[in-house]
Amino acid sequence: MKVDTNEGRLVAQILAGEVWPPLGDRHGFRVDPDGRPFVLPGMGGVTLGVHCGDPATGYAGDHVEPGLSVRHRDPAANYALQYLSCVGNTVVIASGPAAGAEGFVIGQHAYVLTDVPEEQLRRVTAGDQVTVHAVGQGLALAAHPQVTVKNCSPRLLAALAGGTRADGRLEVHVAARVPADAIGAGAGMASEYANTDLMGAYAGLGDDLSLGLEGLRIGDVVAMADQDHRFGRGYRDGWISIGVISTGSCQLYGHGPGPSTIMSGPAGAFHLVDDVDANIRVLAGAPAGAAA
Amino acid sequence: MTPVLPRGDDPPIPPAPPAGGNTGRLISANMLATVEQASTGSDPYRVDADGVPYVPVGDGGIVLGVRLGDGAWDHAGDHAAPGACLVHADPAAGYALAAQACAGNLAEVRTGAAAGETGAVIGKRGEGGRVIVVFDQSVLRRLRPGDQVAVRGRGQGATGPVPGVTLCNIDPALLDRLPVEISGDTLTAGVRAVLPSRLAGNGIGRPTPMWDLDLQLTPASADRHGAAGLRLGDLVAITDLDARFNAGYRRGWLSVGLVVHGGSPQPGHGPGVTVIATGPAGPLAAVADPAGHRGLTEEAALEVARAPR
Repeated sequence: MKVDTNEGRLVAQILAGEVWPPLGDRHGFRVDPDGRPFVLPGMGGVTLGVHCGDPATGYAGDHVEPGLSVRHRDPAANYALQYLSCVGNTVVIASGPAAGAEGFVIGQHAYVLTDVPEEQLRRVTAGDQVTVHAVGQGLALAAHPQVTVKNCSPRLLAALAGGTRADGRLEVHVAARVPADAIGAGAGMASEYANTDLMGAYAGLGDDLSLGLEGLRIGDVVAMADQDHRFGRGYRDGWISIGVISTGSCQLYGHGPGPSTIMSGPAGAFHLVDDVDANIRVLAGAPAGAAA
Repeated sequence: MTPVLPRGDDPPIPPAPPAGGNTGRLISANMLATVEQASTGSDPYRVDADGVPYVPVGDGGIVLGVRLGDGAWDHAGDHAAPGACLVHADPAAGYALAAQACAGNLAEVRTGAAAGETGAVIGKRGEGGRVIVVFDQSVLRRLRPGDQVAVRGRGQGATGPVPGVTLCNIDPALLDRLPVEISGDTLTAGVRAVLPSRLAGNGIGRPTPMWDLDLQLTPASADRHGAAGLRLGDLVAITDLDARFNAGYRRGWLSVGLVVHGGSPQPGHGPGVTVIATGPAGPLAAVADPAGHRGLTEEAALEVARAPR
């Protein structure tokens, strides 16, 4: 994205995290939109075979978290890890057979979600340590004071298409436009934590549940209508929040593929361009390293 | 006697539910709860939808002077509920308390200066598993956080009086005291406003028996939706929302609920709705009366709760 930023003044921190196991409870079942109980994999641990650019829906899974799901054992240190990790930050695996392998943050979901190439991902398991090069909170666009940027690394911003237009608006390429009707679980929560589940993407279930979002892919950049995520996730007429799809398929009702928010502002501050290639898989080839 | 099916025939069609549903078969359970103390984090501030820090007041615990019938934004509070919130220190027992307590249930104070006094459950709030109980103001003034209260949970499992409509979170006896009409195969609720599901914020995607749904409305935006006169205790309807299990988007459905707490400055939050009925639009209907609607009153809630069962 061609846009002036305060990147040179950002503060980077090295944060430790741990690949966290999937968690269950004694009774296991959750309930789908039609009242059917299910037990399905998705959250936590190491999820293989799903990467940026792959479909977000259609899996026999619930809250599919691509790649690594990372937390910190200490609650306060974990909040710092969740709040300060930004989409596009470099993650280095620090222990276990895959030590030294690199990936990048694709979003938060009460875990920091990390895409790692499949070959290295296969050698990771819960308990392995990771290091997150956290930088991005505080990022600001001098020419776009109405646009709040969050959870977005300078590396991601640089890799995205668009930028400052001659008319002063910020051009953002999006793979999908999301109606406010789709906003599910995550509404009312802090927008630096977890993500916004989108309803209306229950592939294979009834037409009455559909909002036309079944085609979303992991890593897609999307625009959410009437959403102001500056100070938490809330409805505001005429605003737009930009997010990156960081989680996939849900069977749990009121949940679904979820964008982690990276921008928020009045609709007039943006110029949206529909672009099927608007996906953070571009980061796989983007310059990385500690400054990313 | 074991029923005998005619060989080779389909099973007989079960008899239609009796008029009035299965009220006679509902389970009543006495649950222990304690009066909550409002709590905050180490930072006194929350941040409102415009980015302004504020100190939350009335978010749980005992709240004086907020009454059913008051405007949803009359008080400078955050999620302020009319009366006292009850909790349980053990999280699992708290979830059961929230899931099984229903509007119209009796709450009897067991300890402290108000021991022996009674109130009525009007709804619940999510996350922490809170049950909201109205008491006379004279009783509220004598309550103290930590006082024990017995809640007689009754209502979950009630079958709707109309096929296709699911009741939840309400003792069916309270339906008679609300502007609800049953005519043929339709349950019609008189409501303050009919609102689109996109205004349902915190609580969406959560289990309806344990969470309320916050309406993302402010005094400034409510007028556009015919909800400027929203009051505590009002019935409201939310379109395209199926709340049988978790609350979620389903085109052509309708959910009706009680407004159980006031507005909130937080983004994604606002006046809270405890859902009491959900079903396809058709069997479930709502008629809005923005100016004249009268919902649940303190008097009706207390009378129903105190009536012998």
